[in-house]
Amino acid sequence: MTVRRTLAFTKRSLLQFRHDRRTFAFIIVMPLLMILIFGYTFGGDVKGIKVALINQDEGIQPIAVPGNPFPQGLFLAQNITASLDTTTLSLQASTDPVSARKQVDDGTLWAAIIFPENFSENFLSGLSHPESVARPHIEVYLDGSNPTIAGTVLRTVSQAIQETMKTFASKLNLSQTNASLAVDPVYAYGGGNTRFIDYFAPGVISFAIMMVTTMITIILFVNERRTGTLQRLLASPAKEHEIVIGYSLAFATIGLLQSVVVLTAALLIFNVSIVGNIFLALLVVMLIALGHQGLGILLSAGARNELQAIQFVPLILFPSILLAGLFWPIESIPSYLQPLCYVIPLRYGIDAERSIMLRGWGLGQVWIDIVVLIAFAMLTIGGSVLLLKRKK
Amino acid sequence: MTVSGNPGETVTSTCPTCGFHGIIRFEGAPQKTRPIIRIEQLTKTFGRFTAVDHVTLTIYGGEIFGLLGPNGSGKTTTIKMLCGLQRPTSGSASILGTPIHTKAVMQQIGYMPQEIALYFDNTVHENLAFFAGIYGLTKERFIEQEERLLQFVNLERWRDALVSTLSGGMRHRLSLACALLHEPQVVFLDEPTVGVDPELRVRFWEFFNSLSQHGVTVVITTHYMDEADRCTRVGLLRQGVLIAEGNPQDLKNKMGTSSLEEAYLRLAGRQTI
Repeated sequence: MTVRRTLAFTKRSLLQFRHDRRTFAFIIVMPLLMILIFGYTFGGDVKGIKVALINQDEGIQPIAVPGNPFPQGLFLAQNITASLDTTTLSLQASTDPVSARKQVDDGTLWAAIIFPENFSENFLSGLSHPESVARPHIEVYLDGSNPTIAGTVLRTVSQAIQETMKTFASKLNLSQTNASLAVDPVYAYGGGNTRFIDYFAPGVISFAIMMVTTMITIILFVNERRTGTLQRLLASPAKEHEIVIGYSLAFATIGLLQSVVVLTAALLIFNVSIVGNIFLALLVVMLIALGHQGLGILLSAGARNELQAIQFVPLILFPSILLAGLFWPIESIPSYLQPLCYVIPLRYGIDAERSIMLRGWGLGQVWIDIVVLIAFAMLTIGGSVLLLKRKK
Repeated sequence: MTVSGNPGETVTSTCPTCGFHGIIRFEGAPQKTRPIIRIEQLTKTFGRFTAVDHVTLTIYGGEIFGLLGPNGSGKTTTIKMLCGLQRPTSGSASILGTPIHTKAVMQQIGYMPQEIALYFDNTVHENLAFFAGIYGLTKERFIEQEERLLQFVNLERWRDALVSTLSGGMRHRLSLACALLHEPQVVFLDEPTVGVDPELRVRFWEFFNSLSQHGVTVVITTHYMDEADRCTRVGLLRQGVLIAEGNPQDLKNKMGTSSLEEAYLRLAGRQTI
């Protein structure tokens, strides 16, 4: 293998993209567009969810009893209501739970939050008698048709409960409050502030590189075959692996360029938090590019022209979008489909990028992903070298 | 040609007509009889179809050897096997003493496929530079060769133009230049003049003659019989079988015909009886 010959392929293809402005734009603009569209549409959290608030809590009037932690009385529902995030929820005070529920049924409201009459009383008695049957409960009557909105409503309510409980913490035994009302989630990463865009940015980098590399490689090699240049190359001293590696270097370069563009946009526009080693993240990008370049060459053997090549797009696009964990965790996919997720190489790329960028993990923790990506790259690149040899 | 010498003498020079640079052997040199390509019982089958059927042939140095025959007679398959693009089903062949299908042979040969095998989204210069890289030309040699070849194929003004913007004839000329960049000793040209206008065809043939004069062996496939007349020797292929070979004039005399076309038809007819 000579470096000069190998680099001849790299140089020629990079020059080609320089002349072909449309393709160059596709390489740069596609990932940028993805991060912008998804960043703006999904990036912000949901706001202004219309919710009815029915407070029937009678509270506890101030009584001067020795040992009473609430000598000024307790109006727990009022406290919780005051802590509700009014940006996320657009609250409409109401008194009639029946009509509020009906409005939810009609679709005019997303939810009705109903505090029962004896809410404060039950809470207080629960403190002294944890085993008591009458636990305080808040009814949240929900339209579950949109899981994101339903989840946001529940999260906002439990956040308000936590806030309220915090103010009582000094007066009460904390373990008792836990037992009686609030759940206190502990965040290992992101401190509960991880936004969708943070979660999405590492995925979009991996996805864009996969798409661009696979598609362009397929078209490039279909063209090599159709125009006869591949024949010319195979009748030249160029060895098959020099052809493949030469192109790989070009795609690794393109992958790096794309990552820089997407990362810069994510940092500048969406203020995405990246805690991990950026070089490790870029290494993963290159591995994704290499593996999918090999895949592209292999797939190109199954297409006689560009029209047939385009037919591979949905074949690659949909499994990657739906099953590789780009938008939602694999755990949320039906269990019988989950094994399928683990055979999609992109899944390991996305997983590694997320772990590196969001969790700040190092090689020691993401090595399995990296090993899988290396194996995938070796398999497809080795396969494409054999394919070119066999084509004789 | 301005360079002169005695028969058999060799001189390193550059030819002013074709720009060929290297060792020039003068008329009467013994290389004319030196076997360059030896083909022994070469056969290629695709399933039940036999494309090339036990072809045995020797091509000598400095010849313009024309492979003749109608479509599907096995011309291209023969060339593809010699260039290492298709593996023979049986039989063997060697070029310059080295068996075909080795990278060592591929460095010595130039191949111009039937299609215009160029990168359309690259410039003329980038295409040439790419092939220079593949064939391992030094930078200095590439600069010389590029200038010379572009001048010859009359594309100097188009050096930085994208191939996609060139006309068909220009692309043909560039494709030829790419095949000759590394000054191969043997050149395979698969129907180089199909779709080429008459004027350019004349120029191409002047160039092939010039190459031949400099000891380069040129193997051409064609189905233009007038072109075949210009070859040093021709091999007539019919359904994969080599039915005759020899000097075009000798073949015509032997068959008692005035044209090679008639000679071919007579030979083919005799073959079927």
